[in-house]
Amino acid sequence: MDFQFVVAMLGLGALYALLTIGVALLFGILGLMNFAYGEVTMAAGFAMYFFRDQPWPVAVGMAILIAVVVAVLSEKLAFKPLRNADPVTLMIASFAVSLALQSLARMTVLPRTEGVPPNEFLSRRISLLGAEVSMLDLLTVALCGTAMLALAVLLNRTTLGIQLRAAAENFQMARILGVKANLVVPSAFVITGGLAAIGAAVLVWRQGAVSAEMGLQPMLIAVISAVVGGMSSLRGAALGGFLLGAATSILEALLPTGLIAFRDAFLFTAVIAVLVVRPSGLLSGAKVRVS
Amino acid sequence: MTAARIWRWWQTPILLAALLMVTAGVGGVGGVAISRVATLTLISVVFVAGLSIFSGNSGIMSFGHVAFMAIGAYTTAYLTIPTGLKAALFSDLPGSLRFLAEVQTGFIPAVIISGVAATVLGAVTAPVVARLTGLQSGIATLALLIVVFNVLNSWTDVTRGSSSMIGIPQHTTLPLVLAIAVLAVVVAWAHRTSRSGLQLQASREDYWAATASGIAVGRHRAIAWFLSSFLCGVAGSLYAGFLATFNVRSFFLTATFAFVVMVVIGGYLSLSGAVIGSLAVSVLQEGLRRLQDVQIAGAALPAGVADLILSAILLVVLVKAPYGLLGVRELRLPRRAGRAGTAAPAQTPAPEKAKLEV
Repeated sequence: MDFQFVVAMLGLGALYALLTIGVALLFGILGLMNFAYGEVTMAAGFAMYFFRDQPWPVAVGMAILIAVVVAVLSEKLAFKPLRNADPVTLMIASFAVSLALQSLARMTVLPRTEGVPPNEFLSRRISLLGAEVSMLDLLTVALCGTAMLALAVLLNRTTLGIQLRAAAENFQMARILGVKANLVVPSAFVITGGLAAIGAAVLVWRQGAVSAEMGLQPMLIAVISAVVGGMSSLRGAALGGFLLGAATSILEALLPTGLIAFRDAFLFTAVIAVLVVRPSGLLSGAKVRVS
Repeated sequence: MTAARIWRWWQTPILLAALLMVTAGVGGVGGVAISRVATLTLISVVFVAGLSIFSGNSGIMSFGHVAFMAIGAYTTAYLTIPTGLKAALFSDLPGSLRFLAEVQTGFIPAVIISGVAATVLGAVTAPVVARLTGLQSGIATLALLIVVFNVLNSWTDVTRGSSSMIGIPQHTTLPLVLAIAVLAVVVAWAHRTSRSGLQLQASREDYWAATASGIAVGRHRAIAWFLSSFLCGVAGSLYAGFLATFNVRSFFLTATFAFVVMVVIGGYLSLSGAVIGSLAVSVLQEGLRRLQDVQIAGAALPAGVADLILSAILLVVLVKAPYGLLGVRELRLPRRAGRAGTAAPAQTPAPEKAKLEV
């Protein structure tokens, strides 16, 4: 295996892990399987399109800002009144939010697919350890890696992080012990917004286009990996995402061309199989809040 | 069986059938546009009756039933498109499926075979559905939808992929759809009041108590899933036979969402709720579509307003009445005073249920 392939695989794995944590965090705390996550990604993607002429750090910054605003607004307007609802009701509600955001986008800013010209800096290739590595793959690894590292520090070293993890383990017990729901839940949405934005930035660079439907793919990826990795353990989710990303790039390299179009069918059949055999996820322990 | 008992069993299906007849009647006297809406509404009633057999009795929301509809629609296309056209449309069929280009049936047999084709998928997936509950079931059914969509969309030689299916003869008429919709409602009601349906409802209210009472929950879930896949396949067949052309995109998340809105707003735990919800949402959708075309101050409302309002309504219903307009109640004539107490909406406190199932 050459180094270039390894970097690409690491990049995709890190990207998927990032997306998955966004879904798993909310699922752990609220029991919310958030289908509107894709539309948060889409909002960030739109920011990337809008600021496409700025240097990329500015565009990414704006993407994070917009995604956080959209995520927090969706919590305030839709999910807060449903905080004690059962997971399926929440899932249907997130469907509604997803459709609402999509039609809003189509009505106002993204009536059709818009191209984002590839950044000159990103399409550069540099030689590293005797292989030609694209800047995009390197930046993917760097950005996603940094975001994961920052998240790990936040979750393990700060008071807020400890509260978040406690809430993800057992929300009711955490509340009894003084964790404020109105602090933890919005901060979880802020974090997912940020993660979605970084994921969106990488996706937009890869695809070179944004559209109102662009959220579907990342959302599905996040849901599958969350299922595979175990739905309420954040470590399991991250690992699940990483494995799925790696598996995808290997599948793409190995599957005969005639079958590549059916990749999703294979992946989702695998998801159903995992659900039947290990309903709480492949990598999780026994403690899962699923009904 | 006394007349009173017969009436007690039949009154809900009769009242629902009356509602469907009113819908068809409005469609019959109205213009072409109204008649089209009425037909599509009745097709969605067939679908929703099928969905309700599974979701209403088991309490498990399914996001995958549109896959059955897709199977039904494609089967009807293979069976009814004239052979000459079919030879041109499917020139690249692989050898083992070559027979698809030659088969030809009438519309009614095609409808039935479409239902059967959907039950084949239902039978394959039933063991999975029987095992899963709640959110896992939601995700698994969604995964089923995505698998079917992906195959239909990518298997270009056989399904024409993302290009539209064309040239299906238009056989779906308003009276035919009305008859099938009434039949679907009666079938759903018969299942609901059958032994299997009642046992499934018991498992919906309390899974462990039902299991402890000796109910084979998985088997009854599988039966309901099987039956509902047939009706949804029939709905897909009628859909294809009405529109004469369809695209694989019609059987994906947008359609799923539309049906979910219908059953959730009406109240997915009861058959009446699901049927009334589908009528109400169809009227609402048409109203919004017309509103969208109305010129206000010289500018038409942008496309998408209808979806936006629909999702807002769904959210409000989820917050204010999580079990929909009807809860678990069925449509009945008001009874005499003293016995008027209708069943209270099902109490399924989610957190406790979750704790039990860990």
